[in-house]
Amino acid sequence: MSWTTNLFLRLSPLILPYLVLFCGGVFLTVCQSIGVLTPLPQDGGALDAYAGLLTDRSFFASFAFSLGVAAVSALFAVAIGTFLAYRVWQLPGRLATAALVYKIPLILPHIAVAFVVLVFWSQSGILASTAHSLGLIQSMNEFPNVLYSGWGIGMILAYTLKGTPFAMLLVLALLVRFDVRQIQTAAMLGASGLRIFSSIVLPRLAPAIHTGFIILFLYGFGAFDIPYLLSESRPGMLSIHVYNLYFKHDLARRPEAMAILTIMFGFALLFIIAYSKVVRRLENGVRKL
Amino acid sequence: MKHVGTLLVLVLLFVLPVIVLLLTGLAPGWRFPDVWPDTFSLKGIDYLVRHHDQILSSLGSSFVFSVFTVLLTLFMCLFPAAVFARVEFKGKALLEGLLLTPALVPPMTFAMGLHFVFIKLSLTETMVGVVILLAMVSYPYMFRALVAGFQTMGEDYRICARNLGAGTLAIVLQVELPLLIPAVVAGGSVVFLVAFSEYFLVFLIGGGSVASFTGTLFPLLSSSNRSLAALLTLIFLFLPILLFLVMDTAVVRLYRKRGMI
Amino acid sequence: MTKKLVILFALWVSLVLPGPLPAQQTDTALLDTPFARIEEQARGSQVRWYLFGGWAHVNTWVDTYVAGEMKKRYDIDLVRVPMDAGVFVNKLLNEKAAGRKKGNIDLLWINGENFKNSKEAGLLFGPFAQKLPNVQQVVDPDSVAFDFGYPVDGYEAPYGRAQFVFEYDTAQVGTPPKTVAALKAWIRANPGRFTYPQPPDFTGSAFIRQIFYAVTGGHEQYLAGWDPDLFARQSPRLWAWFNDIEPFLWQKGRTYPKDSAFLDTLFSRGEVAFGMSYHPPHAQNKILEGSYPDTVRTFVMEDGSIYNTHFTAIPFNSPNKAGAMVLANFLISVEAQLSKYRPDNWGDFPALDPNRLGPADQKRFQAVDLGPATLGSDQLDRVAVPEIPSAYLEALEQGWKDHVLDN
Repeated sequence: MSWTTNLFLRLSPLILPYLVLFCGGVFLTVCQSIGVLTPLPQDGGALDAYAGLLTDRSFFASFAFSLGVAAVSALFAVAIGTFLAYRVWQLPGRLATAALVYKIPLILPHIAVAFVVLVFWSQSGILASTAHSLGLIQSMNEFPNVLYSGWGIGMILAYTLKGTPFAMLLVLALLVRFDVRQIQTAAMLGASGLRIFSSIVLPRLAPAIHTGFIILFLYGFGAFDIPYLLSESRPGMLSIHVYNLYFKHDLARRPEAMAILTIMFGFALLFIIAYSKVVRRLENGVRKL
Repeated sequence: MKHVGTLLVLVLLFVLPVIVLLLTGLAPGWRFPDVWPDTFSLKGIDYLVRHHDQILSSLGSSFVFSVFTVLLTLFMCLFPAAVFARVEFKGKALLEGLLLTPALVPPMTFAMGLHFVFIKLSLTETMVGVVILLAMVSYPYMFRALVAGFQTMGEDYRICARNLGAGTLAIVLQVELPLLIPAVVAGGSVVFLVAFSEYFLVFLIGGGSVASFTGTLFPLLSSSNRSLAALLTLIFLFLPILLFLVMDTAVVRLYRKRGMI
Repeated sequence: MTKKLVILFALWVSLVLPGPLPAQQTDTALLDTPFARIEEQARGSQVRWYLFGGWAHVNTWVDTYVAGEMKKRYDIDLVRVPMDAGVFVNKLLNEKAAGRKKGNIDLLWINGENFKNSKEAGLLFGPFAQKLPNVQQVVDPDSVAFDFGYPVDGYEAPYGRAQFVFEYDTAQVGTPPKTVAALKAWIRANPGRFTYPQPPDFTGSAFIRQIFYAVTGGHEQYLAGWDPDLFARQSPRLWAWFNDIEPFLWQKGRTYPKDSAFLDTLFSRGEVAFGMSYHPPHAQNKILEGSYPDTVRTFVMEDGSIYNTHFTAIPFNSPNKAGAMVLANFLISVEAQLSKYRPDNWGDFPALDPNRLGPADQKRFQAVDLGPATLGSDQLDRVAVPEIPSAYLEALEQGWKDHVLDN
């Protein structure tokens, strides 16, 4: 048995399902988007679905909206997560154990985190009640319209709440291996806390930060659970649009749903490649994923 | 002093929601502008108790398919992870990147394409289908954990055991697997959580036949029965914590028995 | 090496691509069997009933009373699966296209355009309704001949009756508007206090139909069937009405509650002043559940309030059609309809004809106390108007999206 065959055999428990299910799944999505293998026979051109999408203003609006929500929430989660992780790492022993509460949103499913945002931030929610009792507002309507302003703030809040502990987890994994003496030396040489953080610690944390950002950004872009609870009527998130097309409309609109998914997949791939290239150029080959 | 700030932020962000959920669960009529609930009632808990068999069965179903997902990912990733940790070959970095993509791209993009085929293969409405799809989405976490585990373990033990005459199977089962347990637990915890918290994929492939706890929780979250939603969410929170505590104690005990601690 | 790759690729493609569709089959032998034999066949089996799961009290009634009675009378194990009607129709469409002859659903809770789409796509088993003894005995055939103007032909069995009502909190609003014109004036005078679920949600869609009847001069003109010219002539008045009130809606009409459960929450928390529901007992149920304050009452529009009958149906690929027929028969029995009518169970109005009942049974229905929040059938019958043919329904939903949402 040749060495390559041996290698392939040992890798097969992973490679085979990968090819059949993942690559196969993407292949089927693309096929259905061009009218092949759909549940109902499609008449019309192969690229009809794509043509329809590219001339649909609301598709571009949803696309941009999904990108915006994903980018903002990933940025916030990673920024807050890194900073909090640094602070938690500096906590003395017993307090550090108490800090384990940061893992709570990690355990909660996304839909539950969306529920928490609803309970807190709706105009009849807890924060509104607190503002009322502090005399800041007189009635519900005066509480700022956080969830339905058209900016996706509700989803951003939920994604950030769920993503911050994730970023903290990644960053802390690197911090525990950090050589504390470097910080002590810098402090002895007179560097301020901020300077230490930005010049010494942050560059070392870059792999975790970049990994966290990629994962959280792509998740926020394409996930379904949180938008299903918090999405607004317009613009909507792409995943909800696909869900409606797939489950609530004619089967004849299946290619449209699949075309959106194909575009989302293509975008995700391009993003991963482009981001990795850019970061690699900045950091000379340190692995991200 | 600076620690107080950190702790305050942690409590506000992460502990306060749990407290509010607890209060919501115990006070169905809590509404604006009360900062503290006006009346407490056990109506929500009463509903839980009356429907305990339905809730327990959906919890059980979620638990079962999550555990099977962990086992399947372990089976899928064990040997490949060893290869990736120890063998160099052309295109390895690219292959590794490719293998990690299912955890990055939106699952909808390949799951919905597969859905139709799953129907034809009668894999929908079955726990098998659900486990397969969940494993496809979560195996990268197990893979990463195992690769790291193999790298930490190094090859010395294996070489030593081989020199002492052990066969391959014996090496894997008696030397490598026990040393890998922390990595398996780390990867397995993430896989379990991903599978346990998943709503959409279980809904898509499971149809209505595979019960899940998220499926029971979900319709309640946008309903006006907030207290029930809050109580179920709290169960969702405490169950994995409980499981991890049990898991942790079991692993520690196992290691002690084998003299590894 | 290339040869290996080609073989591998072929293998992969054959694993991934689905095979040819198998032939379809129909199960008509059951329709010629006497019902007593059907009951025998169904004994000891499992019946899976898929229905909308957003109402906890309905779920409880099904899980306790219905499941208990099915077990006691027929030793049938009832499994309730919560699923939206649109979603299970889609599921059946997928299964039919994939050639899946044996599915998982035995009985559906369905009506309206979901029924029409299912029947036209060949997703339903039947005609079975006339075989059910209870349908023969206590149901008025004229009342269940049409579902949203579409002929039923025995492909669904009656289950209950619903009528569109509005809800308000007497502690917040003194006198609610009683006509659609008065509603519009109220909305404009009280900005931010009214909204409706976004179509194609079931309740939101019904609300548009309610307004459609009122602003275009009534329902009779539409009952003849789908008339695109009539629709093109009349619908602009509807869109004008909605666009006129849009700036005065909750969130200035920039966003709508995604479904009726969401609207219930907004109403129960006081964010909006009115709720609405296609089920008259809805408010009373919510009061008993503790989600609504007990000052909530129901009201209807004098312009007319749409009513419909809702049904149960059997999918083409049900694995237990006999059991499904037995369940459908039980649901339209006097006992089940009486239990369903009680507000502490559900309060849904019966689909049977009281004139076909014996005097003792008639008295039992009259004796049910619907609770202070539910309107009695005399008040509801006074303003009841029939549902519109379902082709209009789809046109209205799409039109709302085009002319109101995307405007």
